[in-house]
Amino acid sequence: MSQAAYFQVEQVSFSIAETKILKEISLEIGAGEQVAMIGPSGAGKTSLLRVLCGGVTPNSGTVKLDGETYLKNGAQGGPSLRSLRSKVGFVHQDHALVPNLRVVQNVVAGKFGQRGFWNSLRSLIQPVQRDQEEVFALLERVGIGEKMFHRVDSLSGGQQQRAAIARALFQHPEALLADEPVASVDPARAQAVLNLLISISRERGLTLAVSLHDPSLALDLFPRVIGLREGRVHFDLPSCQVSEKMLGELYRLEE
Amino acid sequence: MIALLLLGLYSWFSGQIQVAELFTIRRASNLKRFLTQDAMPKPLRNLAEGESGFAALMQWSSDLWNDFGLLALTTTFWISILAMVLAGAYAMLTSPLGARTLMHEDPFVGAQRGLPWRIASASVRGMAIFLRAIPEYIWAFLLISMLGPSAWPAVLALAIHNAGIMSRLGADTIENLPPQSLRALRLLGGTRSQVVIGGVFSMVLPRFLLFFFYRFETCVREATILGMLGVFSLGYWVDDSRSRGRYDEMLYLIALGALLVLLADLVSWFARSLVRDAGTSTNTKFKDPAESSRGD
Repeated sequence: MSQAAYFQVEQVSFSIAETKILKEISLEIGAGEQVAMIGPSGAGKTSLLRVLCGGVTPNSGTVKLDGETYLKNGAQGGPSLRSLRSKVGFVHQDHALVPNLRVVQNVVAGKFGQRGFWNSLRSLIQPVQRDQEEVFALLERVGIGEKMFHRVDSLSGGQQQRAAIARALFQHPEALLADEPVASVDPARAQAVLNLLISISRERGLTLAVSLHDPSLALDLFPRVIGLREGRVHFDLPSCQVSEKMLGELYRLEE
Repeated sequence: MIALLLLGLYSWFSGQIQVAELFTIRRASNLKRFLTQDAMPKPLRNLAEGESGFAALMQWSSDLWNDFGLLALTTTFWISILAMVLAGAYAMLTSPLGARTLMHEDPFVGAQRGLPWRIASASVRGMAIFLRAIPEYIWAFLLISMLGPSAWPAVLALAIHNAGIMSRLGADTIENLPPQSLRALRLLGGTRSQVVIGGVFSMVLPRFLLFFFYRFETCVREATILGMLGVFSLGYWVDDSRSRGRYDEMLYLIALGALLVLLADLVSWFARSLVRDAGTSTNTKFKDPAESSRGD
């Protein structure tokens, strides 16, 4: 790989109770690279993204972020989890905004990882002018500038997702992860949202990893596609090398 | 249902309660006298020819209002307000500490909960149980003997009991919040206290206010009754009127008490609708950058 690796995952296993979710997964994602993860339900896509953002502690294996080891054999080490988390923006499948706050208050929360308590409280009550301008610029970029002072629960699902993207960008992240960003929108909007994520990541030089149900969108829009099945990497190829046969095997139903 | 029925039948046949006691002639005549004479407002009992009953009634009630009605009402009201402000402040500070989802090494994300965190939430919850396990009447009784007769024993008794109730309800409400949004705040690097101010607080507030005003309403009723222990709330004057045989004045005071509960209910409804709709209208105290940037 030509770029320096941003995410390095080595032999990572993760299980919930007795169920093995991830089985000795190893992969690297280069800085500024754009990757789609595809695979059937329960393949471990969400768990893998959570491992990358420090939202899940694997049982074993090593995870490095920008060359710094933060998880080794299941124990935390290196930079604090908090600073790690603030470096990685995460767009959740259900958007996960605070419903009865305004969009601007949700977006300023993106800087929690870099701010102290009183500064955060102040930004929630009345953000400073510079914050307001930056939030507005981000909301304009994702297409909902006029919704800045609306309450989140008055927004449609698609608008909430864009607010969630703006919150992740307000973190000034080095990487952007999105879990099933198009699970609940129609095909035209799915394409638009993915194009937005891709072009924003390009503009800002962010590493982008997205999990998707739909393999055709992944192959059309992303240069590299990782197929996950039963907690293992089934294939990890440039999208032009992924064949129909591979996809058939990836999504094959067990007898 | 069957158990209740059996219990009812048992009390019927046990001989402790006799239905006939309710219906003796003497009692019936007592009841008649109470309704037509004692409970009838004094100016209406012997109304002269051509005199306006309404005017006399208004005069009577305004005299009562000025003599002690207003005083009793405001005392009761302020006892309840002060008690609930104290209880609410205690609950606001302690309910996050009693919520097991927040008292965690890595709240909403981590799996295991360590012993220190378990002890912390258990002790806050234990305190809440202790405060509310002792009835407010007992607290008031103890406090009157310590502090002497003033409004403070009633205020503190209601505050202590309701602090326990509100602390527990607040902690339970926080535990029952949908975790997704709060987990997201953790995953972007938020600390426990940032998750509280940025998510928990606003999500819990409507429910918390509902409990607050419900308990406020209960406090109004209980502050009334605590008057019978010697605090100058409505209950004191009700007891006073009864002991002087002025049943009309007593009923007047009871009606005032009911009115106060009704008012408390209205205030509660108003405050909750204010919180529910906060921010849904588009007018805002923020300067809207959309306006300024469209100008140039």
